Amino acid sequence: MVKELVDMSTRERIHAIRDLPMSFEEKKSIRSQVLAFKSANQSPHFTGFRDFTENASVTLRRWGYSVRSARQTLQLWQGTMKEIGGRFGTSVLTYFMFLKWLLVFNVVSFLINFGFITIPLLVHDHTPNLPPNVNFRGLEILTGAGYFNYTVMYYGSYSNETLVGLGEYNLQLAYFFTISLYMVLCGVALIFSMAKSFKENYVLSDPASSSAWQILCSWDFSIVNERAITQRKNNLSVQLKESLSEGAQTEMLTRSEKMKHFGIHLGSWLLSTSLAFGCGSGIYFLCQTTDDSSWTPLQEAETLLVPFVVSLMNLVVPLFYSLFNKFEVYSNQRKQIYVLLVRNVILKISILSILCYYWMQVVAKKFSCWESMVGQALYRLVLFDFLFLMLGSFFGEFLRKWLLPNLGVPEFDVARNVFELIYAQTLVWIGIYFSPLLPVIQILKCFIFFYVKKVSLAQNCQPPRRTGRAAQMQTILIALLFFPSFVGALSIVAYTAWSLTPSKQCGPFRGLNNTFGAVGIWIDNLQQSSSSYWVIWIYHHVIRSEVFYFFLALIVIIIIYIFWQVTQGRKQLIVQLRQQIVN
Amino acid sequence: MGTTASQLGKDLLSEYQELTFLTKQEILLAHKRYTELLLKEDLAKDLSSIRVPMAKILTLPELKSNPFRQRICRVFSTSGLNDGSLSFEDFLDLLSAFSDSATMEIKSHYAFRIFDFDDDGTLDSSDLRNLVNCLTGETNDTRLTNEEMRQLIKNILEESDIDKDGTVNLSEFQHVISRSPDFVSSFKIVL
Repeated sequence: MVKELVDMSTRERIHAIRDLPMSFEEKKSIRSQVLAFKSANQSPHFTGFRDFTENASVTLRRWGYSVRSARQTLQLWQGTMKEIGGRFGTSVLTYFMFLKWLLVFNVVSFLINFGFITIPLLVHDHTPNLPPNVNFRGLEILTGAGYFNYTVMYYGSYSNETLVGLGEYNLQLAYFFTISLYMVLCGVALIFSMAKSFKENYVLSDPASSSAWQILCSWDFSIVNERAITQRKNNLSVQLKESLSEGAQTEMLTRSEKMKHFGIHLGSWLLSTSLAFGCGSGIYFLCQTTDDSSWTPLQEAETLLVPFVVSLMNLVVPLFYSLFNKFEVYSNQRKQIYVLLVRNVILKISILSILCYYWMQVVAKKFSCWESMVGQALYRLVLFDFLFLMLGSFFGEFLRKWLLPNLGVPEFDVARNVFELIYAQTLVWIGIYFSPLLPVIQILKCFIFFYVKKVSLAQNCQPPRRTGRAAQMQTILIALLFFPSFVGALSIVAYTAWSLTPSKQCGPFRGLNNTFGAVGIWIDNLQQSSSSYWVIWIYHHVIRSEVFYFFLALIVIIIIYIFWQVTQGRKQLIVQLRQQIVN
Repeated sequence: MGTTASQLGKDLLSEYQELTFLTKQEILLAHKRYTELLLKEDLAKDLSSIRVPMAKILTLPELKSNPFRQRICRVFSTSGLNDGSLSFEDFLDLLSAFSDSATMEIKSHYAFRIFDFDDDGTLDSSDLRNLVNCLTGETNDTRLTNEEMRQLIKNILEESDIDKDGTVNLSEFQHVISRSPDFVSSFKIVL
């Protein structure tokens, strides 16, 4: 083994020695043996160069270590997360890690938008051009209209000029490319983390109900609090006894019982989907009736009605879904959680799609500066979502402990809380095009939420009873974040940019037929000034040609098919090898 | 070496960084917590010659309530008397194996040794029985009955014993662990 270590490069050798499962003394002796061997065999030539490279690599490695330590100290909320992990275990910790991850997304978005779009505008012209009579009243914070309408908060205040200062800065193109750059970055980050999470946590994992897993892998060493440990031991004991007694009576359900279960399932699915669609149509009618553009204070307060009702529905209807869930019988607990999740997703999708339809089809054709109106509506939705979540946390967790102690201590429901975070992030992603500074609110929300949830957790909740598969749940939630949430928001923004006519009097794209026309104009200008031929060539032959996308899709499908066949082959190989080991 | 117990030299620090998975911050914190456990007269002695007895190590809040605390100390101790006492380097070994950046192989190797109560290199039924009792608590109503225990051990062996020899050896254990991605994040002790 010393021979193999000698042949490796320094970095690999360090990793290899570190990976040896031996005590410190033995590792030290191996290392000194290897070093002695190396120095004995070194040729006397080129010592100067070798010394130089050795010193360089040592300094590089030391620098790497200090970067790692620095990164650890700078990590936000490190102490708090360790405390939470120590008391509640790793599955509750995933909620807080998810919160931190979303915070990073929003900070990046804010920096990009502020840096590339808002700052040039502010530098150029930092006084908002208010019409007379409009002052700042308190109501703006709730409605987002009025005074805020004329600030850089919304799409409407961005101009379409080319600013001439230190150089030429085309605000139209800047707006378009900044938003697309941010969306592309988000998409790439999500795809990578989803793929990584999928590979590690989903493909290779075991069913959670197996006894071997429960005994050998499920103990959480990071829990330090004595009461939490005793509780976990009790929970594990109860779980084991349950699963052993279930296994002992392998019950075969009678046919009538199966029909009954099927009927109950069908009934709850019908009820939940109709509830979701009912909510959607209710929102649509409500939007149509509160649809005035006159600015008396009463009418402005009426605009608050729609977000209020939306948030109320988001709070109340999932409680109904949990109620239905109690009546149904599931074979394992994971299926139960997934069904609940799917129903909530359907509810949120129906509400959001009705709202988007209303904005795209009705508001866009009716109002003059419609993008700002949509931005205001989204602002109100985000704000009310925040207020209702705080209220829900207050009533659900704080008050429940004091007023209804006989209901038991509430558990911290990780899936539901992460789902609410995903919904909030969807709203922000839809709203970025219409209101570039909306991520600021999301950042504030994340911060406040971290501390509120931390306090609520410490005071009121107990750790989740079932030691579930945190990693698998995390994969599902990331996939949820990507597929409905990000792709949905992206398609709405893309639809707006591609098909809807920008408003004629305000915003950076005024006067064009659609947003994408700005790029077309730029390409035409480039062609006339006859420079940068490659940009023009790429534009015409790659971005605008359908054949390119067709071939790309074909190649991706072929690669997926090949990988799938390789996986099938490997599965068969595993079965064969197992047989060989037993025999 | 010449370093006393109360300070850590730069060379030693970089050697520790190279041979363990800990960062400089973590090593310094470990040093601080370790020296807090020492008696006054030990502080002037050479660090590599001191061993802290198991009883003192178990007063650390991170290990105090852990059901496997004695096994952990016994596994990482390099003392010839097999009494579970840890030198500073053993302590660093412990923290390194339980740290964030340790690999799955290291963690599963040490987990196997911790669960192997009779130190014979395999997990047989008596080891599994001890393990289940550690995990389910000591009171009478949480303890499993003999019948339940027998059934549970039979299930475990059925699922993880690939070569059907009645015990779980290291490779079979690592195979079970590799299919559980939560293991790496739950096999963690951070100071």
